[in-house]
Amino acid sequence: MEQVSAAPQGGRYDIRGLAEPDATAPKNAVVSGSTAEFDAAELSTRQVNLELRRLVYGEGVTEVTVHNPGAKHSLSVGLLARCRVRIDGSLGYFGCGLIDGPEIHVTGRVGWSVAENMMSGVVVVDKNAGSLTGAALRGGDLVIRGHVGARTGIDQKGGTIVVGGNAGTLTGFMMQRGRQIICGDAGNGMGDSMYDGAIYVGGKVASLGVDCVEAELTETDREFIDRKCAIYRLDQPATFRKFVCGKKLWNYDNLEPNERKLVL
Amino acid sequence: MSEQFDLADRRLSGGKGIDTEELTGKTFPYQFDRSLVDDVDLHAATPGEDINWLEDIELMTEDGVNAVFDRYTNAFLKIYFEIPAGRENEYARKVLVKHLQEGNSYGIWLKHKHAKFAQPELGSWLAGSATVGANWTPPELAGWQKPDH
Repeated sequence: MEQVSAAPQGGRYDIRGLAEPDATAPKNAVVSGSTAEFDAAELSTRQVNLELRRLVYGEGVTEVTVHNPGAKHSLSVGLLARCRVRIDGSLGYFGCGLIDGPEIHVTGRVGWSVAENMMSGVVVVDKNAGSLTGAALRGGDLVIRGHVGARTGIDQKGGTIVVGGNAGTLTGFMMQRGRQIICGDAGNGMGDSMYDGAIYVGGKVASLGVDCVEAELTETDREFIDRKCAIYRLDQPATFRKFVCGKKLWNYDNLEPNERKLVL
Repeated sequence: MSEQFDLADRRLSGGKGIDTEELTGKTFPYQFDRSLVDDVDLHAATPGEDINWLEDIELMTEDGVNAVFDRYTNAFLKIYFEIPAGRENEYARKVLVKHLQEGNSYGIWLKHKHAKFAQPELGSWLAGSATVGANWTPPELAGWQKPDH
């Protein structure tokens, strides 16, 4: 069976679900040794991602700059190798998702769900991010120098989210593991239904969500916050408060062992 | 780069807890010999300026035995050698990275058959890793015929 075939209603159909099944890498990058750069202004989302994969997987390039991303959605996704990518501008929804290994620097803003499901790597955004930042994050560092919208780190299962500014409502909603450092204020319902993990807040917390409680900030916590802020050169407030799960909603003992693994 | 596992002699117990040994039908030398993982460089093996995603990896237990959780397989990898006090997480991380870099993670190994898009087999742990998924074809049910409409 072919992967791509003619669709009954015309056009082309890809069994894997590709929106542009016939797209190919545009090969418009200028490559110089292990570095490369290309202009994304006239490229579709898929062409940008194909060009990135061609360079990183096929050409041995380890540092790529993407010019004029135009706030397109789903750029720089699915990269599964060590590399450095600089996005010179802003991204739309679901940027830098499903990555494992890259270090990505976005000089502008990002829309919903940046770095969702990241397994490992580093994503740094210089300005603001929309809602669902770091949704279902599994590992790595996600750093937003500006403010973030609602539900930051929803269903987070690992990794670290660092926010230089304020965070919106329901930060850490259903968080299961990992850590968040919010240097500014946090909105209503913070940590609602979180099962594990820790949220450190430098500013004010509007209100706590269900089963989120304050805990003692330890020396280990302090070392962690200082280290992350130093690595990403973030100004941090003088004090932080730590918030964790109150464990009133824990029902793990009644679940099968495989259910337990879902949060590891 | 690992050869594909020979699963001919594997016997799944059907138990609720499925660990790496059951999935692959074998154990690996670095589960038993600490010296085989001593030289694993965790910082070099991870992106960024600290140990990145390994910060979440801790020594755990499975079936009463020390173990590290391999998220790429969704199963535990048991560690049988003695771990010096105070270095539990360090050795758990080293065993896991060794396991991944040698291509022995069952979940990664499944890429050979099931990856739908060309991608590096061992991703972020090994530079120059082989490519898998370039020639994926959809599975076909025996005897099935494509309908006319």
